[in-house]
Amino acid sequence: MEKLTANNLYSFYGKSPVLQGVSLELKPGEFLSVLGRNGVGKTTLLKSIMGLTDSCRGELKFGNSDLLKCSTPQRALHGIGYIPQGREIIPRFTVRENILMGTFARADGKREIPKYLFDMFPILSDFISRRGGDLSGGQQQQLAIARALAMDPKILMLDEPTEGIQPNIVKQIEDAIIQLNRERGLGIILVEQNVPFARAASDRFLVLDKGRVVLSGASSELTDTVVEQHLTF
Amino acid sequence: MDVVFNQVFAGLSFASILLIIALGLAIIYGTMGVINLAHGEFVMLGAYATWALQTYAGLGVVTALPLVFLAVAAAGWIIEKVIVQRLYARPLDTILATWGIGIIIQQAVRLGIGPDSRFVQGPQWLTGNLQIGNLVMSNYRLFVIAFAIFILGATWLLMTRTEFGMKLRAVIQNRNISECYGIKAEKVYSVTFAYGAGLAGIAGALITPLFSTIPTMGTGLVVDAFLVVIVGGLGSLMGTAAAAMLIGEVTALFSIVMNDTLGRIAVLAGIILLIRFRPRGLFPSDTRR
Repeated sequence: MEKLTANNLYSFYGKSPVLQGVSLELKPGEFLSVLGRNGVGKTTLLKSIMGLTDSCRGELKFGNSDLLKCSTPQRALHGIGYIPQGREIIPRFTVRENILMGTFARADGKREIPKYLFDMFPILSDFISRRGGDLSGGQQQQLAIARALAMDPKILMLDEPTEGIQPNIVKQIEDAIIQLNRERGLGIILVEQNVPFARAASDRFLVLDKGRVVLSGASSELTDTVVEQHLTF
Repeated sequence: MDVVFNQVFAGLSFASILLIIALGLAIIYGTMGVINLAHGEFVMLGAYATWALQTYAGLGVVTALPLVFLAVAAAGWIIEKVIVQRLYARPLDTILATWGIGIIIQQAVRLGIGPDSRFVQGPQWLTGNLQIGNLVMSNYRLFVIAFAIFILGATWLLMTRTEFGMKLRAVIQNRNISECYGIKAEKVYSVTFAYGAGLAGIAGALITPLFSTIPTMGTGLVVDAFLVVIVGGLGSLMGTAAAAMLIGEVTALFSIVMNDTLGRIAVLAGIILLIRFRPRGLFPSDTRR
């Protein structure tokens, strides 16, 4: 299994650097939470790893591959699954087509949907022929996770997966994320506002502010003082 | 009454040609937002390719169709790779660029082959007419109609039943997220552009026995095809088909009661009225912005 490393990473929209020298490391099977106030570059960090910003400088590697030289589809083929903020499922695709789309990023070229997805999110098999755009927010989030899992990823990057979702589904999604990490050994980068969940789920955390990493450590070090100092407004 | 039926039939065969041209335009615009002003020149290239295959290789129009499709698709693919692909971030510039490409192609043909009209023989086995009462339908025009239906069906299958079609539909709806799931949008764009160009080539080949093959032949046709795309609305193949029928028939029927020029004005006025009340066409897609 590969390790994801960023070293002194700068990421740009136009000419303005949104990330300014971010370094991070994600060992295989590790769970990293990315915290920070609004607008500090958390989403941009995930987008930069996926190659969706205008340009990047510095070092970004997955195992021995230099991700900065890879196109977005190539990064996906390396096994990086990205679940964006707002879910971005394809509205006019059915649930099945949305999940099938995930398999396009499988390195082995297979086009089968793993069975365990439906054990994890039974609602998806009930709604398999509905259009993605007709699902509720929580169901769309489950669909987005299922789509990413269909590519058989090595690491999963989730951007505020429980934001704006009805409370009964939040628990299901949180359990699923923990289960994927603990039982399936998926490396996880989670952008999250919910500090208690981040503390309970992750091995390590880092705090971004103004495009820089201002603090990082084991999740046990994510104390109330840290929250007070870096995460409250 | 016979005049009306015969005009309906003529309108139908014209609509078939329009449909094939408009499908290419609509797919290219719907996928990458490029208004391809060189599309008429792809039609013209198709016609000249058919003429060349008949004159130098002795191939009939029908036999030449697959070759013409491939040749014009290849031309489209190269143009997409070399020029259009660099301009996706600047959609307005693609209008200018494709217009320029059109002029270059047109003048190149004029210089290379000559400005005078070329003649292409229709297929021998399709000469003759099918006559029902006083309605006379030429076998070749019947073939054109059938072939257009075949093209429509094939395009529908390609879009809805193949993995390429699924990737194309994904890219149309959300390019970024499609790329995050391994879909190479650039490749999808190239193939789509080539397919649209290939369709235009086929239309060009099909009209050679009906129209004179001259360097400017595509211009008039592509205007009508644009009208079809506007009336049909983007996002549905069936909308494009219905609009092609409508415009073909209306044009044909108007020419019974008034002369061609007045008929033309009437059609354009009708379309302006339609756009006033349905700005997104008759069959707009429900999600594309």
